[in-house]
Amino acid sequence: MEELKEGLQEQEADAQKGKFMTFQAGKEFFGISISYVKQIIAMQPITVVPEVEDYIKGLINLRGKIIPVIDVRVRFKMEPKEYTDRTCIIVIDVKSTVVGLIVEKIAQVDTIMDDDIVPPPTLGRKDNEQNKYVYGLAKTEDSVKLLIDPEKLIKQEVLEALEELQEEEQE
Amino acid sequence: MKILLAEDDFATRKFMDKQLSQYGECDVMVDGEEAVDAFMMALEDNEPYDLVCLDVMMPVMDGYQVLKAIRGIEAQKGISKKNSVKVIMTTALNDERNVKLAFELGCEAYVGKPIDVEKFEKVLNKLGLI
Amino acid sequence: MAEDFNTDSMFSMFLFESSQLLEKLEGIILEKQDADCFDDADINEIFRCMHTIKGSAGVMMYDNIMKASHKLEDVFYYLRESHPEDVPHMELVEKVLAVSDFITGELDKLRNGETADGDESKLVEDLDEFLSRIKGEIKKQGIRLPKANKQEEPTQFYVKPVAEDDSHFYKIVIHYRNDTQMSNIRAYSATYALKEVAEDLLYTPEDILSNEASGDVILAEGFHMLLQTKISKEEVLELIDSSEAEKIDFDEITSDEYGKELVNLGREPAPQIVINLEDGVKPAKDDKPAPGDYVVKSKDPGKGKTLAKNQPKQQSIISVNVEKMDALMDLIGELVIAEATVLQNPDLKVPGLDLTNFQKAASELATNTTELQQVIMSMRMMPLTNTFQKMKRIVFDVSRKLDKDVEFEVIGENTEVDKNIIEHISDPLMHLVRNSVDHGIEEDPNERTMLGKPAKGKITLEAKNEGGKVYISVRDDGKGLNAEKLYEKALDKGLIDKPMSDYTEKEIFRFVTLPGFSTKEQVTEYSGRGVGMDVVVKNIQAIGGRLDIDSTLGGGSEMTLVIPLTLAIINGIVVQVGNSPFVLETSSIKQFVRMTQDSLVQEPSGEEYVVLRGEYYPFIRLNEKYELPDSCCNVDDGIVVVLEHEGKQICVLIDKLLQQQEIVVKPIPSYIKKVRGLSGCTQLGDGSIALILDIAGLIQDEERR
Repeated sequence: MEELKEGLQEQEADAQKGKFMTFQAGKEFFGISISYVKQIIAMQPITVVPEVEDYIKGLINLRGKIIPVIDVRVRFKMEPKEYTDRTCIIVIDVKSTVVGLIVEKIAQVDTIMDDDIVPPPTLGRKDNEQNKYVYGLAKTEDSVKLLIDPEKLIKQEVLEALEELQEEEQE
Repeated sequence: MKILLAEDDFATRKFMDKQLSQYGECDVMVDGEEAVDAFMMALEDNEPYDLVCLDVMMPVMDGYQVLKAIRGIEAQKGISKKNSVKVIMTTALNDERNVKLAFELGCEAYVGKPIDVEKFEKVLNKLGLI
Repeated sequence: MAEDFNTDSMFSMFLFESSQLLEKLEGIILEKQDADCFDDADINEIFRCMHTIKGSAGVMMYDNIMKASHKLEDVFYYLRESHPEDVPHMELVEKVLAVSDFITGELDKLRNGETADGDESKLVEDLDEFLSRIKGEIKKQGIRLPKANKQEEPTQFYVKPVAEDDSHFYKIVIHYRNDTQMSNIRAYSATYALKEVAEDLLYTPEDILSNEASGDVILAEGFHMLLQTKISKEEVLELIDSSEAEKIDFDEITSDEYGKELVNLGREPAPQIVINLEDGVKPAKDDKPAPGDYVVKSKDPGKGKTLAKNQPKQQSIISVNVEKMDALMDLIGELVIAEATVLQNPDLKVPGLDLTNFQKAASELATNTTELQQVIMSMRMMPLTNTFQKMKRIVFDVSRKLDKDVEFEVIGENTEVDKNIIEHISDPLMHLVRNSVDHGIEEDPNERTMLGKPAKGKITLEAKNEGGKVYISVRDDGKGLNAEKLYEKALDKGLIDKPMSDYTEKEIFRFVTLPGFSTKEQVTEYSGRGVGMDVVVKNIQAIGGRLDIDSTLGGGSEMTLVIPLTLAIINGIVVQVGNSPFVLETSSIKQFVRMTQDSLVQEPSGEEYVVLRGEYYPFIRLNEKYELPDSCCNVDDGIVVVLEHEGKQICVLIDKLLQQQEIVVKPIPSYIKKVRGLSGCTQLGDGSIALILDIAGLIQDEERR
């Protein structure tokens, strides 16, 4: 009976937990839990939308659905890079908001155990923009990967400001 | 209180039997024809039932046919409305037309499954059975 | 939504009919609120409504509703039989509305799956007191009291089934070791153990007791069970003896999947759960059930019940799954785009091709798609009548409470609007209407007459459909907005910091929508959370709409909700600016003009104007406004489009005209903040995305300068 129960538990275990889609931006490697990743597609023509934040590049047509795309390098306040044929778009779904992330290079899907994840150092370069979005560091045999919280990544400053304002109202 | 229960599904039958035995002696039948036979026999033995609980979907005769038969027998024997047996239909069919038909044929209550036990008791109370 | 989903049509019929009766009741009340008294027809109608509700509430055993309606029925019984004069009309009106509100409240609770636990005793006491006064009046007037209104207790009852929310559906497969003896008996003991707790249990192979060979099947393929029960997985596992089992596959599934599994196992599925799109359920006249229809074939072990008479499902109601409607809507949008892809295919642009036959066929196609689109849209459209009716009640309530004399006019209540939209505008409209009565109409009628206005205030609620949008406006002829006071209030609250001259009047009006501008207003309705106009605006923006505010001091205000239809297909002209395609709505284009540099006039501030037929029009270079590279900057090389919206005109410079076509309006993903001047986007035939220009927005932008 015991073995049966264990067997069942393993089957139930979320098959996706611990798997991360990794990509490169600048010199670092980043990872996003693949539970957020819907698709990975090649670079596509982007329709520019005027008067938006600099990291929002515009809209793409994904088989009939119109999706906004953001440039991860620009979001991390790095120098934007020219798009090459390596450039891909990772389409993520965060709480029903679908956004495409333009990344310069896709790495692979890594399996990272919870035990291997450590919180990011709180000291460090204050001006390092990407730290805002990183919730953990994962050490694999060959490299360190910065694990990103997609909700923070796509959240816009305006929305944050608005929420703060609303919270103040309630007090 | 003497109760006649007609229900062909094993699980429901067990459940209803347990429920109804709290209020009185419960006789359990598994198809419509048996139910009518039992009802008739009880009348002739001068120990009529106080309450009949009928499922609608049953083999041989369905709940509506049983209800119709029961009312017919009572009419034939000249039993007044006051003295006629109280009939509660229990079923998973909740369409308005099913309910209307049951009321037309003369049942006192129509209880949807799964049974709301609290309300079921309330009905028994309103019908003066408990 | 909870109210759309109902497996119990007896219950939903009760809710539907009772709500309908109450609405009729309210209608009578509001019509006759200003009259001296109800006439005989009204009294009869009200009596009948209460009588019916009392009856059905009695059957359903909702005693509080029954008692409340019974008491009111009693009152109207006496009014009907004795016709006393000088019945205090206003008081009576209020009592009827009080009963109606109570019952409506209880019905709402039931709709939400809660118990109808309201206490009717105070209401009944109140009515009792009123009734004894009426009886006194009747006696005083020398009229004979009628025989008492004999009430018979209901004799037939309907008990609604309890919600099946706590039922679990499990799919279980038991695999025994290959050397297991009598696996069929083991399987049987498993099923026997589950029978006590099973609401439904099906298994295969079925003939486990009668056929020893079933044991071989079980060893080879496993013993499959489908179980519906309230108990947990652990409890189920405990019940099944699995000591000889090698493995148990155990999955919890949804009731839909359960139904599908039944089909897989070769059984008939349970009757369909149906979701109604229309409110209310209308049973069909034919196909009445009759005794004998429900006899079942004798139950075989392991099988579900099957009716002897092979009855088609009871549903003669045609209802449509909401998700399917949404899918249908998406598809028609895709179809229009696909049509454009075909009609504008580059393959057709070969010179010298004779396309006469093709054009004829294309035209047929276009006609059919347009019709299809209209029919589909109409399936989702519902008139605003109900929503507007609610507003009538609100005006009545608020004007009574504040002691203001207000006339309420409704125009275009039959205007149809997508069902989705109705749900989202009800609250904002309520707020706007309340505001008009509360803050718009002057408290002192003299204030009005001094300005030459009639003493009675007037509020108009108007709806109209135009160009793919719905316009719903709330107009009052009251005080109007005082720009100075608004500015000072906003300044005081620290919401703005620029001098007043920096803002246009329209912008100052919009201060009322700033969060935090009006605190403490109507805390009851929205219970505390950032109440006020800012919430209204947010709700409207959530469905892609906007709020326009217009006002004249002393003359009144007009609040207009502008909401795009969910599926808007408009006729548009695709133009090119730089590398980007844009769409202009055909109806907003007055003309295309080629111009030269000399027709332009430049202000020192940098703004440009164009002179056309002696008039000046603001001139916008889209390439500069939206910082689009690769565009011709030369007026001489491009085309100027004269656009108009509500009488105002502007001129826009574009590079090229591309084509005219039907455009499926899609919202710009909400992730992207609203951009002034853009009202949406669309996919063109070649797959590229074009942004749709919002003329009103562009004009507003220009006015700001």
